[in-house]
Amino acid sequence: MTRDVWKHLILVIGAIIVLAPFYMMLSYSFKSPGEIDRGVGGFFGAQEMMVDPRCVKLRDPNRDEIAAVAPQYPGKTDSEIRAAIMAQAEIDCSMRPVVFNYSKAFIEAPLLRYLLNGVIVTASIFIVQVLVALPAAYALAKLKFWGREAVFGLVLFCLLIPVHAIALPLYIMLAKVGLTNTYAALVVPWTISVFGIFLMRQFFMTVPDDLIDAARMDGMTEFAIVWRVMLPTAIPALLAFAIFSIVAHWNDYFWPRIVVTGSRDLFTPPLGLREFKGDADGSFFGPMMATATIIVTPLIVAFLVAQRRFIEGITLSGMK
Amino acid sequence: MAGLSISSVTKRFGDTEVLKGVTLDVADAEFVSLVGPSGCGKSTLLRIIAGLEDPTSGEIAIDGKGVTGMRAAARNLSMVFQSYALYPHLTVAENIAVPLRMRSLTAAQRLPLIGPFLPGAKEQRAEIASAVQDAADMLEISALLDRKPGQLSGGQRQRVALGRALVREPAAFLLDEPLSNLDAKLRVQTRAEIAQLHRRLNATFIYVTHDQVEAMTMSDRIAVMMGGEILQCDAPSVIYEDPSDIRVAEFIGSPKINILPVELANAEMTLFGRVLGHAAEVAQAGIYQLGLRPEALKLMQAEPVMTGTVAHMENLGSEVYAQVALADQTARVTLRAAPTERHKLHLGAEVGLGFDLNDGLIFDADGKRRRRLEVAVMREREVA
Repeated sequence: MTRDVWKHLILVIGAIIVLAPFYMMLSYSFKSPGEIDRGVGGFFGAQEMMVDPRCVKLRDPNRDEIAAVAPQYPGKTDSEIRAAIMAQAEIDCSMRPVVFNYSKAFIEAPLLRYLLNGVIVTASIFIVQVLVALPAAYALAKLKFWGREAVFGLVLFCLLIPVHAIALPLYIMLAKVGLTNTYAALVVPWTISVFGIFLMRQFFMTVPDDLIDAARMDGMTEFAIVWRVMLPTAIPALLAFAIFSIVAHWNDYFWPRIVVTGSRDLFTPPLGLREFKGDADGSFFGPMMATATIIVTPLIVAFLVAQRRFIEGITLSGMK
Repeated sequence: MAGLSISSVTKRFGDTEVLKGVTLDVADAEFVSLVGPSGCGKSTLLRIIAGLEDPTSGEIAIDGKGVTGMRAAARNLSMVFQSYALYPHLTVAENIAVPLRMRSLTAAQRLPLIGPFLPGAKEQRAEIASAVQDAADMLEISALLDRKPGQLSGGQRQRVALGRALVREPAAFLLDEPLSNLDAKLRVQTRAEIAQLHRRLNATFIYVTHDQVEAMTMSDRIAVMMGGEILQCDAPSVIYEDPSDIRVAEFIGSPKINILPVELANAEMTLFGRVLGHAAEVAQAGIYQLGLRPEALKLMQAEPVMTGTVAHMENLGSEVYAQVALADQTARVTLRAAPTERHKLHLGAEVGLGFDLNDGLIFDADGKRRRRLEVAVMREREVA
């Protein structure tokens, strides 16, 4: 009984440590800048109307504009007219903090464009990774050829190479062929996933040889076996790999930051966070956290949907 | 349907020689079993016939045409695997349809979504569907066509695997221990069904098993394999009654045949010092081995050839097996007795055993059958 209590206590502490950053992220995305600075307002903040200072500043009229609207304010001085316009601007620019944060996220940064880029890049990477990894894993697991063990050794060796170690040479190569600032630069370096090859190979090892022999007897070519027999039986493992691959490349900040140097049109969602990084007037934590929330939501939803099969895949339960 | 011929096939895996020159001719519509203990090379031979494995040397011909080196799919053979090897993601109907789809549809027609709308695809698909239905009807699995293999029992999966094999008309059926994953009762039932299927299809069957009962009950001929060689290939009755090698005699028959040492000296054949018969000038003097099936031994009160005590008994109802420890010998012999004789047998009972030498099989020290010596001993005995 008491042991159960301890067990649960430790698990609860672990859960709090893991969840705390997400709690902060979500909470900040709801609060006004003042509440964030002062650390008040609980989880949701008071949601009092607040004024967007930047919006107001943009509406500050110059001398010509005041002259243009002067006939609407008969008998008023220029400064009185300006005060009236600013008062109106403050009313127009006031909103709830949650609306402020999330609208900033979409308006200030073209977040929809970034999300689309994220989808294009992660999906392309994953599809090409599967196209490469499945035949390679099949060959390594089920075909007998000279040097197979050596090739598999190389796969294991490649698993040990840290991405950051080869980032610079990769960047130079891409720059030489003129591919920086293209989708290709974001996709091509990741298309061969040794982790994918390794994971799928381990799964294919558990597929009975008889199944492959039966497919051969039924008239399938080796490629047909990969796509018609191995792929459908490997769905759980493939889902596990999909989560690893998609999470890694959706959340990747490092590589897009290196190869996307010019156009904001190629920014992936994590690069969108930079839009709110503090300049002289301080960081916009509210919109930044709203952006972060929007970025992680698709992944969390996808995980919850695929959770059961994902865990099946991780445990690599073979078929009986 | 076609005959099959295998000539001097050898197979090595590294340094181990799994097949040492196997030659076998299978006639059209014949049911041949390859039987032997595990590791004797029977499954390897079947895989070589199927084209899943290449022989190190030797030739395979189907219907007179050499197929050595040809892809498995091009040989037009069907195989049923021990583990059934059904596609887990396809329904029963789709599983059975696979061999037909791969053969009669073009790659484009097999494509999902657009495939069914290509010219000719509709007729082909209708043909396949009716062939699948026919196969399912024959095996009585029509009710299961929409299920996945995971939802089927072992016996049902076995039928689906058979259905997938017979849906197209192959040159021959290869079956690799198809019954070994079934429980004993189902095995007996399916055994009879496969034999019936063979008669109905009138097709060539090559059946690999380690179970001699399956081989004995289903086959036209049995090829007994051991150590990478076929020791003997004959009809089941010949294999049982007239084996040419002591290993065949020992492998086939349950309980195992009794082997007793006999000595031939001065044209006299003796067992434990007792003269059994005379043989003149047909064989060298020396030690020979006498094989006696359990049913050849008889309980004998007067003048028994051997005496001993009952050491173990197995009562199967219709028959009783008794292991008798021979007096003054380390050997034990197994005796089959009718239930009417059961009262004479109980643990520790002293029994006398005799036999008719006509029922005995004589092998030399190397295990080769000595038929001429047998004939000579019989003849001499009759003269005496």
